[in-house]
Amino acid sequence: MISLRTMTGPSRPSGDRRLALALPAAAILVALALWPLVQLGSMSLHEVTAATLNRDWLFIGLENYTRLFASPDFPRAVGNTLVFVAVVTLLGMVGGFAVAVAVSSPTRGASYLLGMMVFVWALPPVVNGSIWKFLLGDHGLLNEAIRALGGSPAGIGFLYDPQLALWSVALVNSWAVIPFNALIFRAALLAIDSEVLEAAEMDGAGPWQRIRYVLIPHVRATATVLGILTVVYAFRSFDFIYVMTAGGPGTASTTLPYLAYVEAFLRLDYGQGAATALIALAVVIVLALFYARDVRRSEETS
Amino acid sequence: MTTASGTASGTASGTARRRRREPVAFGVRLVLWAVYGLPLLWIVLTSLKSQGEVLTSQASLFFTPTIAAYLEAFGDPALASSMRQSAIISVGTTVVCLVLATPAAYALARVKNAVVVGTLALLVILQMIPQTANLIPLFWILSQWGLLNTNLGLVLADATLFLPWAILLLRPFFAAIPISIEEAGRIDGAGTLRAFFGIALPLARNGVLTVTAIIFLVSWGEFLYGITFMLTPSNYPMSALIAVQAGAYGIDWPGMMAFAVISAIPVFLVYVFSYRLLRTGLTMGAVK
Repeated sequence: MISLRTMTGPSRPSGDRRLALALPAAAILVALALWPLVQLGSMSLHEVTAATLNRDWLFIGLENYTRLFASPDFPRAVGNTLVFVAVVTLLGMVGGFAVAVAVSSPTRGASYLLGMMVFVWALPPVVNGSIWKFLLGDHGLLNEAIRALGGSPAGIGFLYDPQLALWSVALVNSWAVIPFNALIFRAALLAIDSEVLEAAEMDGAGPWQRIRYVLIPHVRATATVLGILTVVYAFRSFDFIYVMTAGGPGTASTTLPYLAYVEAFLRLDYGQGAATALIALAVVIVLALFYARDVRRSEETS
Repeated sequence: MTTASGTASGTASGTARRRRREPVAFGVRLVLWAVYGLPLLWIVLTSLKSQGEVLTSQASLFFTPTIAAYLEAFGDPALASSMRQSAIISVGTTVVCLVLATPAAYALARVKNAVVVGTLALLVILQMIPQTANLIPLFWILSQWGLLNTNLGLVLADATLFLPWAILLLRPFFAAIPISIEEAGRIDGAGTLRAFFGIALPLARNGVLTVTAIIFLVSWGEFLYGITFMLTPSNYPMSALIAVQAGAYGIDWPGMMAFAVISAIPVFLVYVFSYRLLRTGLTMGAVK
């Protein structure tokens, strides 16, 4: 909105004329990204169901919100979201850093490994989700391995045990984000002056000490920004939940954005779904402001 | 692949010999090969099994391979139509997205004022919005415009979804071009459009290729807009078809894995041709 107003205004010195090149992108973002969000807000204040979607919506004030807060699904989804985001962020960051350290050695094996992991990242999430649904099944690879090692013959219900489903999907989601995070951490590690590492080694620092006192301090700035990105990635995660558990059993693995989908497109209560999505949106905007502040800071210093 | 070790040794050559002996890193790499390699291997193995084989044991490593699942997949008209849909939608999305994002990224890299800073912050927020928040109102808007169940509607929705990310990824490539090169062109009388098309765009070629590859990959994998905005399954792209099948009861696993392998082939090709670009390009957009 801000951008459009000033871009169409009278052109100031030649610098501003270049902004006209951003007009087509601005137009489509206003029409198909910002305008829908205004509509989302409006829907959340109206009764919108499958029957009334293409008619006049009945204004019901905050009823969608009060019904949402009264529903047992809401606290459940909030709790699930917190667990999910915590697991994916922690594993994604620690795993990403560990992988980056492991693949930054200049051996051919290390670069092949990184190559394979980037390929896994590039695969459609539905493909990765399906293969894990298969591997985690009653007779999947994991349960067969557990049986072979003398574990429970009935198998573990990774995806249908209400205690485990959320954790299983969160683990697979971490698995999926680690290659990307490793790539980012690796770039930060490669930027470290090799003389610094050599000096540390000469002073007798072992591998763990080099990680602790040289590598980690050097990637701290990267980690801050990447951490926010990972939180947001985990928060908006949808694909793996949809494919692996569909939010179940019951609502055991339903997160807030997933609940919005269920309400709108399975229960066909678009108003209620919009209210849920709007709350999810508010969370993301708060997180995004942190990120934007960091990006802006790096813009100003560059 | 040779360049992969090339860039790494460029900065770490001094410690190369010692690092290679690190047993911990070697152990970690071994675990990673298993954790990332086994699922890939199992997709391919399972696609080569018969349904009966999968019923008795899904974990078996030794079995008589059969291409029955592939023959069945190729005999299924849904495969051909969903592949065509995937191709149209992801190529269309990539083209629309890049045509819009490239000039916008150039403008946002070259102009420095409060408007640009605000716009960048807005793009960051848009990039982070949960897809379900866009999905609900877009369903209504596309229905109002008569664009539900059409390729045009889905392409527009997908392109808009990835547009903020594409702009943010491309912008550093334009920002890295020294302004002096452009100013030299300006003295020769090149206008804004000439400076963009004639000078900046050729120099940012790698960036455009990188983002083209990334947007193609993500639009090939996108399925939520696909299953929602396409009302008839015959219009589904492959990713949407796989998503629906994975949610069904009594999954035909060999058949599904054959589908997954076939859908991974274009991903593999794009990946092979753009791996080096991806490795650096993703890094630039995410943190800067």
